[in-house]
Amino acid sequence: MLWQLIINSIIAGAIYTLVALGFNLVYGATKFFNLAHGIMATIGGYAVFYFAKTLGLDASVAIIIGVVLAGVVGFGLDKLIYLPLRRRKASNMVLLVASLGVMTALQAVIAILFSSRYKTLSQNIGTQKVFTVFGGTITQTQIVILLAAALVMAGLVALLYKTRFGKAVRAISDDEEVARIIGMDTNKIIGYIVFVGSAIAGLAGILVGFDVGIEPTMGLSLLFKGVIAAIVGGVGNIYGGVLGSFLLGFVENFGIWKISGEWKDAVAFVFLIAILILRPRGIMKN
Amino acid sequence: MKIIETKNLVKLFDGVHAVDGLSIGIEKGQVTGIIGPNGSGKTTLIDLLSGVLEIDGGGIVVNGADKITRLLPHQVFSYGITRTFQNVRLFEQMKVLDNIMVVVTERNVCGSLFGRHPDDNHKIAADALRQVGLWENKNRRAANLSYGQRKLLEIARTLATQAEIYLFDEPFAGLFPEMRKIVSSIVQDLKRRGKTVILVEHDMGLIRELCDHIFVMDEGKLLAEGKPESVLGKREVIEAYLGR
Amino acid sequence: MEYLIHLAILFATYAILGVSLNLIVGYAGLLSVTHAAFYGIGAYTTAILLTKTGVGFFGSLILGIAAAAAVSLLIGIVLSRFKGDYYALGTLGFNTIVFGILLNWKNLTGGSLGIPGISRPELFGINFANNFNFLVLASIFLVLICLAARFVANSPFGRVLKAIREDETAIAVFGYNTLYFKLVIFVISAAMAAVAGSLFASYIAFIDPSGFRVDESMFILAIIILGGLANLRGSIFGALFLIVLPEIMRFVGFPSNIEAQMRQVIYGLILILLMLYRPQGLVGEYKL
Repeated sequence: MLWQLIINSIIAGAIYTLVALGFNLVYGATKFFNLAHGIMATIGGYAVFYFAKTLGLDASVAIIIGVVLAGVVGFGLDKLIYLPLRRRKASNMVLLVASLGVMTALQAVIAILFSSRYKTLSQNIGTQKVFTVFGGTITQTQIVILLAAALVMAGLVALLYKTRFGKAVRAISDDEEVARIIGMDTNKIIGYIVFVGSAIAGLAGILVGFDVGIEPTMGLSLLFKGVIAAIVGGVGNIYGGVLGSFLLGFVENFGIWKISGEWKDAVAFVFLIAILILRPRGIMKN
Repeated sequence: MKIIETKNLVKLFDGVHAVDGLSIGIEKGQVTGIIGPNGSGKTTLIDLLSGVLEIDGGGIVVNGADKITRLLPHQVFSYGITRTFQNVRLFEQMKVLDNIMVVVTERNVCGSLFGRHPDDNHKIAADALRQVGLWENKNRRAANLSYGQRKLLEIARTLATQAEIYLFDEPFAGLFPEMRKIVSSIVQDLKRRGKTVILVEHDMGLIRELCDHIFVMDEGKLLAEGKPESVLGKREVIEAYLGR
Repeated sequence: MEYLIHLAILFATYAILGVSLNLIVGYAGLLSVTHAAFYGIGAYTTAILLTKTGVGFFGSLILGIAAAAAVSLLIGIVLSRFKGDYYALGTLGFNTIVFGILLNWKNLTGGSLGIPGISRPELFGINFANNFNFLVLASIFLVLICLAARFVANSPFGRVLKAIREDETAIAVFGYNTLYFKLVIFVISAAMAAVAGSLFASYIAFIDPSGFRVDESMFILAIIILGGLANLRGSIFGALFLIVLPEIMRFVGFPSNIEAQMRQVIYGLILILLMLYRPQGLVGEYKL
């Protein structure tokens, strides 16, 4: 039983890592809490549903389409809505409210197109390969989730610290105005950042879809968890986001050990509030 | 008597000493100038004195006995200290008159909700606005004022509090000569009425004209102090400004 | 006609919610996305007391206000440590926690099954089962709350709130304990929301947690942003608009299963368009 809890915590941590990484990336560039970030996950999941299950395309193709589509939508929303607002030096509240509008609208559109019912992405439920680890079980999908999280994190670190593009991203994260003054086309780079961040979120949604399923409101709850993880680890901090994600995964799963699983969200938020009171800048020092 | 005294005041930002062991005494009823090159810690000092920034070391004593070291801004105010900001912080979307009225009303929550509005408050606000010449603009939104008018409004806001100690952070910067004259006469009027003024400024002419005593800061430390004429001629002071 | 009365009662409920939220968001500048939690506390207090005890409607109203006030005081103190975006997130979290409690504390709240059979108020033998009479009652409360809100907004207290919204540090240096001011308005606003909750519970006779989730808080936020922040009349307009809108859409004839979702699409679009082109809302003077 204990090992199952541990495995569940690690899986949750891995998923939250993906969301937190994407969120941190985008937040570092745009500096506001984009409530619609979660929708990118939903879009990824539903895109795979549509292309793989409805149109019958090969799963891997559908996944690639899903990830790219999420990235494109994120990019498009930024160009259409957030960029004009940023140009106008709109306050954070305005951006937050705008993202609230985007989230509300898109979530509803998805519900209209696909209905609010829970759907799964896996073809054959119940015949997935399952492995036993110390008495706990882990499915093939969940192993893929772990690998994906590890790969994305490694890839992101490589991107940010070993490439020129990464250098530009870090510069913008630090101080966008200065970056612009020294000649960087910050808007273009921010566009790429948003694309990558949204794509990562899309991937998270797809993986969740294969693991447990998709529903139109999945984005918001994933976002909450990713944001909590990011804040706990220190917003904008890549490693912090990972640490925070796994911490959250453990707190959530162990926190509901003796009580009903439906308290998970509440536990997560109590955790967040506790962290914000004790260490307002997050666990990792900046 | 020293109305404000700092003892070994320290403020760190990411390991950098913005204020480094500063010990100064402000004489009551005088106009004291704080000068120094950019980044010497003058505004940080004002922020520490008014409670806007937390002190990392040392202490501040008011009226010879009251320690205000760890107090929040609203508590510092009760010791008779008021201030302006270097980057003019007004209540933008509120009218000019409201910007003043909002600081003369009851500070107690219940009082402001249920208390009767003394007519005196209107008079105090009107007087403050008239003193800076903004009475005609009383119904304009603060955000719509010119830069000079905004600075004057900030000063009027402090006058309306009728405090004892006034911390002015670069009140003359960016002002046209006519407005400079207004601020100048306000400072002199405050002194005449026995108030204490601390003036952070760059304009040496005004410093010479208005200040009884000045402190020169450099890299968070006290470089020199004394009467303006004697201090401004000192070599280390000139070097600090010109760079070594 | 019955239908119009129904709409009017809904309008009154949401107008109360909008006006009270505006005090926090529009006047004090705190982006609170948890108003549904206090709405829910009021509703559930009335529901539980009316179905399980002998306490009458008006008694439950007072207890609901007390409960909301106590809870809002506590969470207000906790949230006061948070700044800016974090504050909004903290409120979202609190709403989620309250929703979790409503959903999972089955012994008290009935969980997802909700609480049925909530009775109408009893006063001087007036038959409040008659919806028109209930509308009058609701309207009286609406007027009382609007008067109270206006009193607060136009008082020196209200002016301090606006200053806090504009620049909290700048008003603090002038001797105002901004924490207290923010707490007080948060509690007042929560108490008003609880009134709306009590009214709604008694009217609709059956409540369940789904009406007090984060999306409800977002809906109330949309009302006041649409109407205009720091403008109480605007919130009333906003409530009217957003209650009437779905009815207009019904005439357009969307199939009923996607009607609710279309409403959400429109709310979302309204928010986006407002932020892009008219941040001060319909009649507001305060640009977000």
